[in-house]
Amino acid sequence: MRPSAALALLGAAVTAALLAQHTISVAVLALVLLGVCLRAPRARRWPYLVGTGISALALFVVTPFVETIGSHPLWTGPIVPVLGQLDVTREELSSALFQACRLAAVGFAFAAYALLLDHDRLIAGSGFARRSVLAVALATRLVPTLERDAQGLVDSLRGRGVQVEGLRRRATLVSPLLSGSLERGLNLAEAMEARGYGRRERTHVPAPPWTAVDCTAVAGALLLVAIGVTWL
Amino acid sequence: MALARLERLTFSYPGAAPALRDVSLEIHEGEVVLLLGASGSGKSTLLRALAGLVPHFHGGRFEGRVEVDGRDTRTARPAALAGTVATLFQDPEEQVVFTRVTREVAFGLENVGTSPLEIVPRALQALTAVGASHLADRPVAELSGGELQRVCLASALALEPQLLLLDEPTSQLDPESAEGLLELATDRGTTVVLSEQRPDRALAVATRVLFLDSGRVVLDAPVDDAREWLDTHRRAWTADPHVATACCKVGKAVCRLRDVSYAYGEGPPVLVGLDLDLRRGEVVALAGPNGSGKSTIAKLAVGLLEPQEGAVERGGRAAMLLQDPSRYVIRDRALDEVALGVGGDLGRARTALASVGLAETENRHPRDLSSGERERLALASVLVTEPDLLVLDEPTRGVDPERKLELAARLRREAATRATLVVTHDRTFAAAVADRVVCLESGPDPEGLTLGVAHA
Repeated sequence: MRPSAALALLGAAVTAALLAQHTISVAVLALVLLGVCLRAPRARRWPYLVGTGISALALFVVTPFVETIGSHPLWTGPIVPVLGQLDVTREELSSALFQACRLAAVGFAFAAYALLLDHDRLIAGSGFARRSVLAVALATRLVPTLERDAQGLVDSLRGRGVQVEGLRRRATLVSPLLSGSLERGLNLAEAMEARGYGRRERTHVPAPPWTAVDCTAVAGALLLVAIGVTWL
Repeated sequence: MALARLERLTFSYPGAAPALRDVSLEIHEGEVVLLLGASGSGKSTLLRALAGLVPHFHGGRFEGRVEVDGRDTRTARPAALAGTVATLFQDPEEQVVFTRVTREVAFGLENVGTSPLEIVPRALQALTAVGASHLADRPVAELSGGELQRVCLASALALEPQLLLLDEPTSQLDPESAEGLLELATDRGTTVVLSEQRPDRALAVATRVLFLDSGRVVLDAPVDDAREWLDTHRRAWTADPHVATACCKVGKAVCRLRDVSYAYGEGPPVLVGLDLDLRRGEVVALAGPNGSGKSTIAKLAVGLLEPQEGAVERGGRAAMLLQDPSRYVIRDRALDEVALGVGGDLGRARTALASVGLAETENRHPRDLSSGERERLALASVLVTEPDLLVLDEPTRGVDPERKLELAARLRREAATRATLVVTHDRTFAAAVADRVVCLESGPDPEGLTLGVAHA
């Protein structure tokens, strides 16, 4: 399947998850997308899956305390400045689960895009907005690059006998990591310009013709969105 | 007619002293021009000026004139010069755009408007020319440093440039790969301007040599005359480094690797059944081709990796200098960066900085230092810890011969205080500094590697 068709399917899954009204529908979409992500190599997939899982869990935990809906309180807590009285209702829990499933579905779809799609072919196959597609593809590579840079910084500290443990110590690495990314971005931009990027007469490697599988995937994507609007 | 002409070029990066001063020269078709000079002498800036990246990409103050193929680089942007000029940068990882090899090589061809049907055949032809046709379908992330640099060279050669600019292209390669890359780059009759810190191989392929000192050209001569000049004025650049190898008493083992095996993730074993002793008073050099497991042994020795089988015993404090100096930019001041390893002791950090010639830079941000200065900062950051076991992974990468000689002398001088392991591709440096050279004789395969003592 060509990457653009696969991207259409992933986009449709995200759209359906955002349009769906039932928690079970969104949960099923999230589980299917998780199953897709599990096809990626273990060493590469864990930052995406752990990041998505933690974000969804955090949303589930926080939502009941900041939302005020429902009339079936399960727990009533103290009054907190700004937030008012803390309470958790059955409706709030249900809403929190729904939002967490949505976030998980979106996160797993992004993970599948980052881990499984051939970005080179995606750029080659995009008939328009090639610059934007290239920028997104380069940004997608940021996660593994940051992971490698972070390990390098930790190694440089451990190699000097400095232990890097605890959240506070690790937080001190955020700033050098970000400035390192900027520097890397500048170096890449320089190399791209030296290789002629930005010239007007740009041509492209011919894209392969559409196959029956590609057409079926795009039709499936449209169908999934329609189902998301009407039934899910 | 000259292919490139520089007329009284003076250039300063924003807020900095001139990197090039009053440089005038002509480069003619078919020449292979070798740029030599200490770190920070202006070699990379001169290459960037020929590519038009100076001043367009970097900004700064530009005086004089640079013409390439009759086009003034003040009006022609670097992208417009691409095709006529192609550049191979020092670090291949920072110039790769795509994830697959063929697409990567095709990128430049697409940019310069090559006919769509010709792009892939020309990319494959370029890969074949550099002996990398077998890599065509591989992801770039899986390539070794040497393979990736070949792919980057193919990307440059695919454009069939009139002027090929190579900025220390062999700094990360083992001797065989480096020699092969230079031959590939120079045997096509293309005009080449090449900057190098390891002049022995480069002098063999060059037709003309420029020596830069603080941004000025102090030598511009045919290669034979240049050799004589270097022998007289810059001995370190042509002679093998000679260091007084004062013998010191070899003491007890500070680190013992016993029957150690290691594999990354689910990959094949990199090491199988390795035994190695590192003793106080002894400098051991670890040599071998790219990907043979040298850095893995170094990390196992200091404890950055744990063996999957076997044991590593250490007695005392261990410290390691990583290959990449960009890992030593955690603090905002050079002085604080060095002090990190000694619990913030600024006095010791100041002494360590001064010992590598960076006393003047203590208040500068590490990222504002030149690449050569960063290498020295990294070295100071490790040496300040005064370890019992010192491991240096490619400490001469990007270091000019004079600094290399200083480093060798220092390691010899301080050898008695610790056990030292130096991982290096640089045979002359290894011969100068080491009491024992351990060679990895085979690459990572299921049989593991063999250790051979090449010199004692």
